[in-house]
Amino acid sequence: MANIVEIAVSNDSFQTLVTAVKAANLVDALSSPGPFTVFAPVDSAFAKLPAGTITTLVQNIPQLTRILTYHVVAGKYKKADLLDKPRLTSLEGSELYINVNGTFEVNNATVIAADIEADNGVIHVIDTVILMRPHWFDGIMESGGYSFRK
Amino acid sequence: MTTTLERKTVLPPSQHEFAEVVHRLEAGGAMLPDTPENLMQIIGLYKAYAIPMDFYWRDLLYIAERVFLDPVPAFKYFLPKEYLELENHYAGDNADLRIWRGYATAHKELLEFMEQGELKKKLPKLFHHLWHDRINMEFAEECMRAMLWHRNMGGLLEPYMDSEEYKQNCDRAIRAYFKYNPIMLGLYKLFPEMFYEQCRQATMTSVLGLFWEIMAPVFLEMSDIYDEGGFKGVPDAMNFLVNGIFAIAGRPIYHRVNIRGEWYDLVPKSKGFTWLYEAAFPYVEAVFYRTSPFRGTKSYNAQAKQIPADQNDFHYGVLYADKFPVGSAGIPPTLLHQDMFHFLPPYLVEYYQKFCRGKDDMLIQLGISFQRSMYCVTSAVIQAGRAAFLYPLDDPNPDHLRANRAYFEGQLNRFCRREYGINEAARLRFIQTQDYR
Repeated sequence: MANIVEIAVSNDSFQTLVTAVKAANLVDALSSPGPFTVFAPVDSAFAKLPAGTITTLVQNIPQLTRILTYHVVAGKYKKADLLDKPRLTSLEGSELYINVNGTFEVNNATVIAADIEADNGVIHVIDTVILMRPHWFDGIMESGGYSFRK
Repeated sequence: MTTTLERKTVLPPSQHEFAEVVHRLEAGGAMLPDTPENLMQIIGLYKAYAIPMDFYWRDLLYIAERVFLDPVPAFKYFLPKEYLELENHYAGDNADLRIWRGYATAHKELLEFMEQGELKKKLPKLFHHLWHDRINMEFAEECMRAMLWHRNMGGLLEPYMDSEEYKQNCDRAIRAYFKYNPIMLGLYKLFPEMFYEQCRQATMTSVLGLFWEIMAPVFLEMSDIYDEGGFKGVPDAMNFLVNGIFAIAGRPIYHRVNIRGEWYDLVPKSKGFTWLYEAAFPYVEAVFYRTSPFRGTKSYNAQAKQIPADQNDFHYGVLYADKFPVGSAGIPPTLLHQDMFHFLPPYLVEYYQKFCRGKDDMLIQLGISFQRSMYCVTSAVIQAGRAAFLYPLDDPNPDHLRANRAYFEGQLNRFCRREYGINEAARLRFIQTQDYR
């Protein structure tokens, strides 16, 4: 079986992600035994970002690395493993919000292909680039009468 | 001419106190109503703000990088040529990424003003300074202090400034800076924490400088686009800001100090700190919402709980400010109004002369236009947050629209709280009509 990076490289839908991972020097880390769970945005997810967003990040590798590592979790979590895990801590350090009731979602992204097995973990393909939700986010949502499972 | 906003009726009408504003936000609008008068006011103020801001960011970086721990920084507002010619990273021909048109070096209107001041006379700089005929950096420093003082603002910089790594970086810089000053080195040995705190203040000065380095060309370009007839309404202006926030979100936030020609990193770029998380969000929270009760003509009784015990409940920022002139750097803030007064576009001067006491209360009128413009910026931050962390406005999934609505209502609840009269202080209701001026 191939590892996470090899799977991404062999798939045409992940060209932007692969370029970003290479630029951020994360190829070795994501090829290591891990295991990891990667929420991998497809090219169209990056294309949804306003002009300049990616360019600024590619020019600033530590900042790009931070955004990319928000898409990675230590450990192998298939969809079925996430039923009782509404929050996961990313490698970046911030939390990911998981919803597996009905549609499979992470933050505001929908998983369009789940449980792609790799040697060193699992890939869930997502339709939107996810960004760290700031510390005030939960408080604002609760104030508006919306609570997330924790 | 206004932009027509259409609201899809997937959800039942909001029952919120500001339901009309909720619906406007859901239709892609701003907290500020979309009228030509509002558009003119906010854009005029962006222009008037951008030019002093071009000075603020340059001087903030000068203070953070060069003045640093000078115990008697008497000339910190005397910006050297080097910093007037410092090229903006995101404007001008040599920009890292030329997102905005703008100038790389200091704006020509700023240079003209620095030369002659309000007096329109070429006097030695010191006279202009002592006469307060200058750009008032006290306002910029007040914003920096608000960002430093309010903790729990999110981002990774704040915990980093309490880390051993940061203290070691400070230690290297402090020892180099005071290499030939045994008295200060002795004091450092006795009171190291005091010196670290001064370093943190310098770091926050750098953060604010790097933040405003972006906002100055953004606001200037908005003014240019408006002059060319480019914005059809308030939502267009807000969306320009939203796109700018995304484009620049990953800009590095750092702090370095130049000591006798050598650079010392206090916060290296390699930490991965970003404009959005370590500068913009804390800035909006500290400056637009919180700041501090101003020292001036108004008295507060802390024992009677007129001042919140919890800093999270502070509500003295521009969105709550009562715009009467007290001559201070904080709320209202008159010193900023004075700075913007020098760079008002002619259409706004003409406009203010028609209302209230004409030219005599122009500082208040422009202060209120400024408040409207900052409600537009806050709307852009709210919409950018919705786009980044939640869902598109036209998302077909009703659950997603419910989440968006909760987010908008949660944001507006910050202007509705009864504690400490926050709801009465908030200017959201006032800015819904034009007779607030």
